[in-house]
Amino acid sequence: MTLHCVVCIKQVPDHEAVVRVESEQNLFIEDRYICSFYDEIAIEAALRIKKDHPDTRITAISAGGRRAVEALRRAVAMGIDEVFHVGDESIESAGSMAIARVLAAKIGPMKPDLVMCGKQAGDDDMGAVGPMLAELLGMVHANAVLSLELNPQNQSFELDRKTEGEIWRLRGSLPLLIGVEKGLAEPHVPVVTRVMKAMKAKIENEPVSKLGIGDHDIESGLQRVRYLQPPVRGEVRMLQAEFPENVEELVRCLQDNGVLS
Amino acid sequence: MQAGQIWVLVDARRDGLTRSTEKLLQAAGSLAGVKDMRLTGLLMSQDEKLIESVSKYVDHLLWARHPDLTTYEATRWLHAIKQLFQSRGRPEIVLSSAHSIGLELMPRLAAGLQGAYAGSVVSMGWKGEALLFKRPIFGGRAYEELEVVRPPVVLTVRNALVSGGKPRSAVVAEIDEAPVDIPDGLGLEIVSREQTSRGKLELLEAERVVAGGRGMGAEENFKLIEDLAACLGAGVGASRAVVDAGWRSYDEQIGKSGKTISPALYVACGISGAIHHVLGMNTSKIIVAINKDPEAPIFKNADYGLVGDVSKIVPAITEALAKCLQKE
Repeated sequence: MTLHCVVCIKQVPDHEAVVRVESEQNLFIEDRYICSFYDEIAIEAALRIKKDHPDTRITAISAGGRRAVEALRRAVAMGIDEVFHVGDESIESAGSMAIARVLAAKIGPMKPDLVMCGKQAGDDDMGAVGPMLAELLGMVHANAVLSLELNPQNQSFELDRKTEGEIWRLRGSLPLLIGVEKGLAEPHVPVVTRVMKAMKAKIENEPVSKLGIGDHDIESGLQRVRYLQPPVRGEVRMLQAEFPENVEELVRCLQDNGVLS
Repeated sequence: MQAGQIWVLVDARRDGLTRSTEKLLQAAGSLAGVKDMRLTGLLMSQDEKLIESVSKYVDHLLWARHPDLTTYEATRWLHAIKQLFQSRGRPEIVLSSAHSIGLELMPRLAAGLQGAYAGSVVSMGWKGEALLFKRPIFGGRAYEELEVVRPPVVLTVRNALVSGGKPRSAVVAEIDEAPVDIPDGLGLEIVSREQTSRGKLELLEAERVVAGGRGMGAEENFKLIEDLAACLGAGVGASRAVVDAGWRSYDEQIGKSGKTISPALYVACGISGAIHHVLGMNTSKIIVAINKDPEAPIFKNADYGLVGDVSKIVPAITEALAKCLQKE
């Protein structure tokens, strides 16, 4: 019995890329982008499922501007053959709900058994698209999933979900949407021949209008007022005294700051 | 926004309200106070003991009643909350702290209510009739301020600060028991729950955190970190390097691919301070860095720095603290 697994991915700035607030309305982002950390884990997890259940169809989807294509090339390089790019620059800044609507419009008709999203993206850390998509698709969902076992014969699954200091084991019936936690799979580095193939892969774009998404659907209800510099920490105070006087000085400083109780 | 309702989802563990929920209830009280809005505590737990601890913060305690809600499960809780929206009137603002329940449930709730959503909110306040809030983006390398232009809005809050708010005077909460229907077989079945950090302080809840990195030299030297943490009543954290090396569990990892925390005190021992790590802790109130390399980047992100051997300095701090805590 064929299992259809859809992976949603996003291209984001590398965590070491320079991000600088230039003015209240302008943010400089260094042009160093990667496929988001948790999304790569989701790709790998899908490939593992296909290994265990060869009759699995995997589809990778990225919603957004031109850059999204690069995330999909990564997915092709890692071994996914069917990829879709939906939307354009206009939805890049429209927020999680817009992205979730676009993805839902594309994924809904596919009627997949499993949808996987990174538990959060490496840029806005919002972690909203997955749960929103689950609501729009009417699927059960679990966030921060550490392990997943599927039984395609009776359409059931068991998974481990990470919470504060606990791991919960949950059981249910497909279809399912999960937010992927670190540990679900260890992404492999694609071989050069696959990377070359991915560079040449033709990736079609589907505009938002073709999915029946209107301007109203991509309103977030929020408006950005401004960008702000992160709060600055004062100059570090190096405690230069010889050991152990420096330790005593530190303890006094911490007492003065009222952080000991 | 007209005078209306603010709802706060109460996250309760077996041992009572979590610190983050308590802080959020206080912050929501300030927010509600300014605009004379009604503050509702949304209690899903069936534990009666919680009524007292929640009701001192709210005007109205909405208690969803159904045995199947006792243990959290996303689909069932969501189903119940949606019913309460129908029967108790739609709030303009729904808040939850950014724990595993809030992160799983709140974006989905926003989608279901056709509302706006934002996560990792660190401060909120009113500007005229509009609710404004701030949140870090790109792992804290920048912040954005957003305005709610079309309520309802659902927010998960990481560090509940309210600007321009006023603390609430004592209130007597109306207790509103609300029976809900949960269809049989809805949602997922909970097979088991396993504690991964027995007896350890949860990092996201900890007021103080002591963390170690490669510079600790060896796995067994984390005993020094644990001793200092015990003395401070602190949680234990670790850098990615030592988690990757297998010295510590991923549960303890602080940084971009681990936990993002904002304790009052963060002590970084033998951690060089790669951007990856700093993004997970730079919103801490006071940061102490101990490293043998005076050029280590961690010192650029610290309030107090000590250069030297962690295996000497860390136990000395523990000893000095123990002495001064005894005196008090």
